[in-house]
Amino acid sequence: MDTAEIKSLLLANEPSFWARLKTLTKAARDFEELFLLSSLRKKAHARKLAGPNLSAKTLRLAMLGGYSLYPLHELIEHLCEVENFPVELWLGDYDNYISEIMDDDSGLYTFAPHVVFILPAERRCSYTGQLTDARELPQDEAQRTVDSILDLARRVNEKTRAEIITTNFMLPARHDLGAFRSRTLGSDWSFRKWVNLELGLNAPSYLHMCDWEFLANRLGGLAARDERAWFESKQPCSSTLLVELAREAAQLIAALKRAPKKVLVLDLDNTLWGGVVADDGLEGIELGDTSPRGEAFKAFQKYIVSLKQRGVLLAVCSKNDLAKAQEPFQKHPEMVLRLDDIVSFKANWEPKSENIRAMAPELNLGLDSFVFVDDNPAEIEIVRQFAPEVTTILLGPDPSDYVAQLADCRLFESRSITTEDAGRTSQYRSDVQRKALEVSVTDMASYLESLQMEAVISEFVPVDVPRLAQLINKSNQFNLTTRRRSEAEVIEVMNDKKFIGYSVRLKDRFGDHGLISIVIGEKVGDAMRIDTWLMSCRVLKRGVEEEVLNELVRLAKLKDCRSLLGTFLPTPKNDMVRDFYSRMGFSLTAETETKREFELRLESFRAVSTKIKIIRRAYESG
Amino acid sequence: MNQAEVIAKLQAIFDTVFLEPVVLTPAISAKDVPEWDSLTHISLMVSVEKAFNVRFRVGEVETAKNVGEFADLILKRQQEP
Repeated sequence: MDTAEIKSLLLANEPSFWARLKTLTKAARDFEELFLLSSLRKKAHARKLAGPNLSAKTLRLAMLGGYSLYPLHELIEHLCEVENFPVELWLGDYDNYISEIMDDDSGLYTFAPHVVFILPAERRCSYTGQLTDARELPQDEAQRTVDSILDLARRVNEKTRAEIITTNFMLPARHDLGAFRSRTLGSDWSFRKWVNLELGLNAPSYLHMCDWEFLANRLGGLAARDERAWFESKQPCSSTLLVELAREAAQLIAALKRAPKKVLVLDLDNTLWGGVVADDGLEGIELGDTSPRGEAFKAFQKYIVSLKQRGVLLAVCSKNDLAKAQEPFQKHPEMVLRLDDIVSFKANWEPKSENIRAMAPELNLGLDSFVFVDDNPAEIEIVRQFAPEVTTILLGPDPSDYVAQLADCRLFESRSITTEDAGRTSQYRSDVQRKALEVSVTDMASYLESLQMEAVISEFVPVDVPRLAQLINKSNQFNLTTRRRSEAEVIEVMNDKKFIGYSVRLKDRFGDHGLISIVIGEKVGDAMRIDTWLMSCRVLKRGVEEEVLNELVRLAKLKDCRSLLGTFLPTPKNDMVRDFYSRMGFSLTAETETKREFELRLESFRAVSTKIKIIRRAYESG
Repeated sequence: MNQAEVIAKLQAIFDTVFLEPVVLTPAISAKDVPEWDSLTHISLMVSVEKAFNVRFRVGEVETAKNVGEFADLILKRQQEP
């Protein structure tokens, strides 16, 4: 790493320091590099070097555990800030985490953290009996170890409503015990594996696993540990693994608030198969089990299908003749991907940046949900320059590394995989059919009627919480206030009588859209203040908006309200709902650059009829 | 390598780690350098071990009272790995 350049930027008070800092931070793998970058960042703050517009909201992060948290905290603080999630830290004392959690008056609770990161002590995760004890004994003890961590997490969550991250345990890396280690549950090797599994499988939705076992395994067990650093300064692991641990923690923190990517846009020639189909012909491309290269491309396609099954939408963008580009999908016996796996297929001679730009409105998604992969650096560069919101991955040069490149990109990780993710491709495909029907039916009302739409409106219920939080955190366009909430915060709304919260599920004769709209209202005096109103853009102009308002008025009246108060908070992405409240009959009461406020008097409101059949309403049993 | 040569090589590492220039002498120690706190120290030691290809034994770095003694320790560890 060339530190002279970034240092001179800092000494010259150059604002480009920050962009350079971000680039170097992403690339840094060595502890001392990352640490140095963090020192430079702090010095830049001390020199008041004009910075990037940091997110105004600072996240309060508490860290506690059975280790010294210096300098891990420094790395986490650095990574979070560089990723635009600035944190304010509270650090527990060395190995004082149990009393810090149990004591109601502890500084942890005064700090009122948003996120709590716990690193339970490894030395409390060993079987205390004999190696030859009957299996039930170490099993019971492992369960107690798991329960004690779950109890600590529950207690913190109950008292603070914070999201909680806990590490699990590294496995030993020495030959000690020999092969016997895996024939008893009493060895640290087996005992910790068991604890790690039970912990992960039993973690409630507010508890997120920082998988230390995995990180150490990925790096290598011997490289993961540093006994000297433990004796000298109670370090949790080697400095190399400390970097990975910090990166993982920062990733988990970011994932609490940031949505994963939704669309994977694929090049064809030398990406999905070897060779150029227009030149080499269907028989000439390398794909399938007859050659090592062909096998590698096929394995890549299989991996891509597994992403689709997790809810990632697949698209194609290729400089090609459309018929030639589609031929392998239709006719090649070794193709794993088929045309119906692809939600948008662009094969033409337009720049790829323009093709990807065109996909965004087609799928009603923002460009920043797209990831583009290509083996050609020139194509990657065009997209980087002309569609900078798109994340790009340059594949290559060896197709046997393609899977690893995607599997390590960290762009498609969901906190929890919901059943609706898996069905998303079919939803988007039936959208395409639906749009075809829209063209053929001239009268909008009869078109909507022909859809045979049915909606189920439900108050917030525990089983919906992961999906509610997911939608609240990723909806950008039809979102009046863009207020993000974690699962824990959704549960809080659900349990607070001041609030009403409901969701809408919609289906029609082409398919089930799943949960597509969310409203949160808060009773303030005799008014219902609309805290959140968001909707998936895929169901725009079907009457859902009207039905959501009908329901809101109904519930507001039940709560003895006389008016609805709506707020529009502009973001770079929600301009489409700027005048939404006016369109729905609200009157504008106040307007500034950052806020528009509206009111609807309930006595003057008349329910709007739509073509949607309401199967069930919120807060009604059955 | 002698002590002066070790200190010259240390100078390069210090120049990387610290923003404000520090001129190393055998007598200088952490308390003379405002940026040299306990956190920076950890990073400094990782860099030194890599650059000199040595590994200090547990607890021995803190026995070095100044840069001169620290350079001697590096020499000792280089000679008897």
